[in-house]
Amino acid sequence: IKDVIIKPDAPSTLLLDKHADYIAAYGSKKDDYEYTLSEYLRMSGIYWGLTVMDLMGQLHRMNRTEIVEFIKSCQHESGGVSASIGHDPHLLYTLSAVQILCLYDCLDALDVDKVVEYVKGLQQDDGSFAGDKWGEIDTRFSFCAVATLALLGKMEAINVDKAVEFVLSCMNFDGGFGCRPGSESHAGQIYCCTGFLSLTGQLHQVNADLLGWWLCERQLPSGGLNGRPEKLPDVCYSWWVLASLKIIGKIHWIDKGKLRAFILACQDEETGGFADRPGDMVDPFHTLFGVAGLSLLGDEQVKAVNPVLCMPEDVLQRRGLQPDTLS
Amino acid sequence: ELDVLVQRVVKDITNAFQKNPNIDEIGVIPCPEARYNRSPIVLVGNKLGVESWCVKFLLPYVHNKLLLYRQRKQWLDREALVNITSTLLLLNPDFTTAWNVRKELLQCGVLCPQKDLYLGKLALSKFPKSPETWIHRRWVLQQLMVTRQKQQGAPEADIDRIQQLSEQAAQTVQQEMRVCTDAANRYPSNYNAWSHRIWVLQHMAKGNIKFLHDELASTRPWVSMHVSDHSGFHYRQFLIQQLLAELSPQAHSSTKINGAHAGHGVETEDLSTLLQLLQEEMELSSDLIKTFPGHEALWCHRRHVFYVWQNW
Amino acid sequence: MKLYSLSVIYKGATKANLLKAAYDLSSFSFFQRSSVQEFMTFTSALIVERTTQGSRASVKEQEYLCHVYVRNDNLGAVVIADTEYPQRVCFTLLDKVLDEFSKQVDSIDWPSGNPETINYKALDIHLAKYQNPREADAMTKVQAELDETKIILHNTMESLLERGEKLDDLVAKSEHLGNQSKAFYKTARKQN
Ligand SMILES: CC(C)=CCC/C(C)=C/CC/C(C)=C/CC/C(C)=C/COP(=O)(O)OP(=O)(O)O
Repeated sequence: IKDVIIKPDAPSTLLLDKHADYIAAYGSKKDDYEYTLSEYLRMSGIYWGLTVMDLMGQLHRMNRTEIVEFIKSCQHESGGVSASIGHDPHLLYTLSAVQILCLYDCLDALDVDKVVEYVKGLQQDDGSFAGDKWGEIDTRFSFCAVATLALLGKMEAINVDKAVEFVLSCMNFDGGFGCRPGSESHAGQIYCCTGFLSLTGQLHQVNADLLGWWLCERQLPSGGLNGRPEKLPDVCYSWWVLASLKIIGKIHWIDKGKLRAFILACQDEETGGFADRPGDMVDPFHTLFGVAGLSLLGDEQVKAVNPVLCMPEDVLQRRGLQPDTLS
Repeated sequence: ELDVLVQRVVKDITNAFQKNPNIDEIGVIPCPEARYNRSPIVLVGNKLGVESWCVKFLLPYVHNKLLLYRQRKQWLDREALVNITSTLLLLNPDFTTAWNVRKELLQCGVLCPQKDLYLGKLALSKFPKSPETWIHRRWVLQQLMVTRQKQQGAPEADIDRIQQLSEQAAQTVQQEMRVCTDAANRYPSNYNAWSHRIWVLQHMAKGNIKFLHDELASTRPWVSMHVSDHSGFHYRQFLIQQLLAELSPQAHSSTKINGAHAGHGVETEDLSTLLQLLQEEMELSSDLIKTFPGHEALWCHRRHVFYVWQNW
Repeated sequence: MKLYSLSVIYKGATKANLLKAAYDLSSFSFFQRSSVQEFMTFTSALIVERTTQGSRASVKEQEYLCHVYVRNDNLGAVVIADTEYPQRVCFTLLDKVLDEFSKQVDSIDWPSGNPETINYKALDIHLAKYQNPREADAMTKVQAELDETKIILHNTMESLLERGEKLDDLVAKSEHLGNQSKAFYKTARKQN
C-alpha cells in the first residue's frame, strides 16, 4: 500500500498562531522567485490565504484596502477577473475574486452585472462551461460558474437545467465524477460536481451510497486521504473528499480521529503552515485545506466552514446563503 | 547587465533549437553558481539543460517582459514574443496568459500549430502533468482540425489531396498517443495525460472501431507493467465502453456518425467480438491480481468489468 | 514497475565495498541521472553496512524499496525497485546474482575489489531481463523456498541509523557522492 508513516514526534496539536504568522508574512515576500512562479494563480492564492485567516479569526491582519484595489484592477472589459494584473481573465479567478469580496463584504468593488454577463457568456449549448474565451471544458468550470452566480444571487442568468444535464453526464459507474464525460473519477472533480449539484438543488441525483463508498475508500492506514486509488495521501484531499462526504451526508463513514492526526502531522512546527504530507514544504493552498478539513471534523478552535463554497459559515449567513446538503 | 545576460541566454536557447531540431527533453542542471565564460545552456545529444543558477534570473525577467507587453507598457515584436513565451513556458508551463499570447500569434499566422505542439511536448518532458499545457494542446488540435476540414471541403480538393489530409490527421492522432504515453510514464496515474488521450479519441477518432481495438491492444502490455496505475485501467474501461456502444447501438445509445449498423440488429459477429472482449479482460484481471497481489487499482478494474458485463 | 539498480557489495569490518553495479535510470530526467546513480550507490552501500550477516531486509525510502541480502560470508547484494515491483522476485534475483558472482569471482578479491577490477559481466543482463518480472524465471517456483517472514521491513532509511546518527551527516561525509549530488540533496530535501 502506498502511504506515509507518521513519526511519533510529529505535531499533534493545532499551531494556530504559527499558521497566522506564516500567512501574514507570505504576502510580504513579493520579490521572491517562488512568489513570481505562482503569479498566474495569485487571485486564488489570496482567496486561500484570506479564507484560512478568517477561519482562524485573523482576517484583520491582512491588508484589505490593498487587496480590494488589486481585485478592481484585475477586472477586464469582458467582466471576467484575472489572476493578477496583466494576466487574462478566467472563471477560476473570477470565482476567487467574488469569494474574497464576500469575505470583505464589499461585492460592489466589482462591476457585478458584467461578472454575470461574463459567466453567462461562457455557457455552451450542451450546458457545459468554458473556463475562458478559449473554450476549454471542465466540470471545475461548471462549479466556478454556479458558485460565482450563487454568491451574487444571480443563478437565473444561466440555463441551469442544461448545466445540470452536462454535469450528470460526467458521472461514472463508481458514483464519482470526472472532468468531462468519460473521464476518470477524481476527488477534486467530485467536490466540484457535488458542490455544483448542491447549489443547483439537484443533490438527489447522486447515488450517495455508491459515491460515499468510493470516497471513504480514499482513507489510508495513516489516516490521510488520497484523491484516487493507489495515490499517496495529501492534505488537500482532506478537503476535497471530506467536503464531498459532508455534502452527501456521509462524513461519519470515515475515521475522524485518524484523519485529524494525519492533518496535524502535516504542520511545520518551525515555519507554520501545512504541507501536502508530513515533512514536505508548506504552502498557503495546503494550509487552507488543512485548517478547513479540521473545521469540517468539528474542531472548535476554528470557525465553521461551509463544505460547498469553502468559506466561513458566518460569511454565507450574512449573504443569506445556505447550500443544500444530504442528511 | 542583467539585461545583457538574459538576452544572451534567450538567444542561446533559440540557437540550440536551431542547431538541433530534434531536442526531446529539457531539464535543469543542479549548479548553484555560474561558471565564467560558459553559457548556462547545455546541449547534450537531444537533451537541453539549463543551469539552475540562471533560472532565478531568467524566469522573472521573461515573466516581467511579457506582462509589460500585455499591459501595453512595452512593445515587443513578433519574434521577441515567440522567443520570450517559449522560454517562459518551458520554465513555468502553467502561465496561462503566455499560452494565450501564442494562441493569438497562431491565429494571425505567425506561429504554426505543429510548432506549438512541439513546444508543449517539451514542456511536458519536464512537467508531465501541467494542466495548462494540456489545455493549450487541445486548443491547437481543435484549430488543426478546423483547418483540415476546410481544406477537405474546398472545391479544389481532389481525391489525392483528401487522402493526404486524412493521412496527416491519422499521424497527428498517433503523435498525440505517443505524447500521452510519455507523460504517463513520467508521472504515475497522470490524470491530465489520460484524460487528454480520451479527448483525442472523442474528438479526433470518433466512431473508429479499428482504432479502439488498436488502443486496447497497445495499452495491454502497458497496464500489465503499471499495475497500480488507476488511470491506465480507467482508460481501458473507457475503450471497452466505447466499443460496446459502437458495436451494440441499441443497448447503448450513442451518437454514431458513420452509422454502418444503423437500423440493423446486433450482428452475431459483433456479439461474439464483444463477448470475447469481456472474457479477455476478465482473464487479464485475474492474471494480474494473482501475479501482483494487493493492488487496489486491479480490483477497481475488475469491479468495472463485472459492472459492464452485468449491465449489458 | 521498475528496477533501478542492482549492486554486489562486500560487507567489510568497518565499511561496505562496492564490487559491481548495474543501473537502469532511463525513467529519470536526463540531467538528474548522474546524481541519482550516486545516491543509489550510496544508499546500497549504507544498507549493506547496516544489515547483519545472514539476513534479508527491505527498506522503504520515498517511492522506492531497497531489497538487501547479506550472506553469512559477508557477500551482499542490493536491488532498488519501485513499490510496484514484487518483493519476492527481487529476493530471487539477489540469491541468483550472489550465487553466480561467488562462483565467478574468487573470495580473495572481495574485500579489496572495485567495479574496475572485478570481472563479472552478467549484472546488466540480469537487470534488463528482470525488468519484466513475468519474463524472468517462473515466479511461483521460488516462492516456496523463500520464507517471507524472515525478511525484515524498515519503513524509513532512518530506522537503520544508530542513536544520534543523522542521514544528513552521512551524506555530507560520503565518498560515493560528488559535490553536485550533495548540493542536489540539500535542495531536494523538503520538496518531496
Ligand atoms: C472554492 C474552491 C475550494 C475551489 C474552486 C473549484 C476548483 C477549481 C476546484 C479544483 C478541484 C480539483 C483539485 C480538481 C482536480 C484537478 C485534477 C484533475 C488534478 C489532477 O491531478 P493529478 O495530475 O493526478 O495530480 P494528483 O497526483 O495530485 O492527483
